[in-house]
Amino acid sequence: MISQYSQIVPTGDVLLMQKLAEKLKGRSFLHINSTKAGGGVAEILHRMVPILAELGIDARWEVLEGDQRFYDITKKIHNTLQGNVETFTKNMWDHHYEINRSNSGKISLDADAVLIHDPQPAALIEFRGKGKWIWRCHIDISNPVKDTWNYLKRYCRKYDAAVFSVARFAKAMGIDEFIIPPSIDPISEKNMELATEEIRGTLDKFHLPQDRPMLLQISRFDRFKDPTGVIKVYQSVKKYNDCILVLAGSSAADDPEGEIVLNEVKEFAAGDPDIYVLLLPPFSDKDINALQRAATVVLQKSTKEGFGLTVSEAMWKGKPVIGGAVGGIPLQIVHSVTGFLVHSVEGAGFRVRQFLNNPDMAKRMGEKGREYVRNNFLITRQIRDYLSVWYAIENKGRSVIDL
Amino acid sequence: MEGIKPFEFKQCVSIIKATGRKAGDIQALRNIMAEVSDESIFHHTCQYFLKGHFLEYTNEFAQWAGEGLEESALSERLSNIDPYGYKNISDLRSELLNVLDICISSLPKTRKAVAGGEFYFNETITFTFHIGLKVKNLAEFLLAVKYVESAVIYYHFYEARIRLGVDDFSAWIEQTFDKKKLADRIRGIDPFMHSIEGIREHIVEALEEEIKKDMEAISG
Repeated sequence: MISQYSQIVPTGDVLLMQKLAEKLKGRSFLHINSTKAGGGVAEILHRMVPILAELGIDARWEVLEGDQRFYDITKKIHNTLQGNVETFTKNMWDHHYEINRSNSGKISLDADAVLIHDPQPAALIEFRGKGKWIWRCHIDISNPVKDTWNYLKRYCRKYDAAVFSVARFAKAMGIDEFIIPPSIDPISEKNMELATEEIRGTLDKFHLPQDRPMLLQISRFDRFKDPTGVIKVYQSVKKYNDCILVLAGSSAADDPEGEIVLNEVKEFAAGDPDIYVLLLPPFSDKDINALQRAATVVLQKSTKEGFGLTVSEAMWKGKPVIGGAVGGIPLQIVHSVTGFLVHSVEGAGFRVRQFLNNPDMAKRMGEKGREYVRNNFLITRQIRDYLSVWYAIENKGRSVIDL
Repeated sequence: MEGIKPFEFKQCVSIIKATGRKAGDIQALRNIMAEVSDESIFHHTCQYFLKGHFLEYTNEFAQWAGEGLEESALSERLSNIDPYGYKNISDLRSELLNVLDICISSLPKTRKAVAGGEFYFNETITFTFHIGLKVKNLAEFLLAVKYVESAVIYYHFYEARIRLGVDDFSAWIEQTFDKKKLADRIRGIDPFMHSIEGIREHIVEALEEEIKKDMEAISG
């Protein structure tokens, strides 16, 4: 598997990954999150754990099991950490703790390094064994509702280290806090090269016309992704530039709001035959890949974003990308170099029109975007960074480590 | 070739650590800059070139002053500071603070960054490692410089200045082959005016001309 990456990714990433793995060989590395499918975290873990195993690390991935009430609570936690006001009661936090406590009895927490992904399993720290515990926060917590963050922080500061995707998300918790952007996997079904017939097959399956430019946004049906804003963008573009809009996304098991938002979007799009709202089943990676490759312009018009990996996915396919200037999107889109950053529906509409009317510029930015992703946002870089953090916290106090 | 000290290519990779401190205006930038670790100053100045050099600045303080605060004059002054021109990070920090103090005393009112656009002070933990490539003559060296990753060029051309005061390439060429002119030519490449790929092109050009000259001398 690693040899497949060597052909694509920067050689330095593979080398450092292998050198760190030699140092950590045979030791155990446990990942815990709250969903097996849907969303960027599960997607990366599906690929990362086998790679870690091939490197000689005893890697394991466990999923926290909760009831519907737990997922409703953690969705509220997620929303409030991103700044939305929700009502919380002590009883809800107690249930959150209780689910973590019961899972601590089912999951073996014994490992040399434990990486806990996001707030859902954060309370597992109360049941830690030996080894280094790292809390990995994938969401934008730069402006959280204070009460929620203060409650959650009681758990987070008990970890040996925390990892955030963007420096702006980090908190002064008195523990080591590292900045590691997430990544995409270039050889996964979602990002591998596809034949023209395969791309056409997906377009035919969803009855998508191929005679006009396609605007595309791939994301969960979540208000922070601003799907209705994207429809407004399309409407503003359509006046002079005939095109179709595809809004496609899958639902995640830990997101109870998805269906409500999907219905809102369908209602908003109703009556326009050139808007295609596609709810993709889990494991639709190849179709997503084909849609991204078929798109003329890709949007990620989020108003809040953990990182927004769909941006890197589209850039990896050489596509011109327009993204909201939030969360990790500005780390991926260097404005006017690898794509355009926007702050409004109007701004997004203007940039779409620029791309549709300047195909050479779109191509040039697409090529720069692909190279930028190759150097910064591929999975080998993220594995390299996780191993680096593990090694660094075991060798605390050294700012330069010669391997 | 017996006795020739080979050039061993290395690379460095840094992981970023947040300090938890952020500045929303020049005064706060100055105050925090005076207190943060040497590693943080090093990261925001000397390691700037690892990031791809897309913009017109030469360090992150200058970039933030220019883009985050729109303080163009301050940005220009900060960009003009050569981080490799100081004996140590402490001297570099003093110069940065000096520029900020002059700016603060001359401005009637300083601008504030928009929420979320503050300057976040980070530091790094750097891993260095051999990439498994050793060369013993200029022809091999040329070939390697052409094809190694840009992070390798960064390590030997920029990061070396902190260790040696000069880049590794020119130091090896001068010490091993006594080619002072070629070494000076490489030392004369302005580290702030090129991307890493641009630096590579200049080094390759200098090496190709030198090798051609050597070949002509041999063939008579």
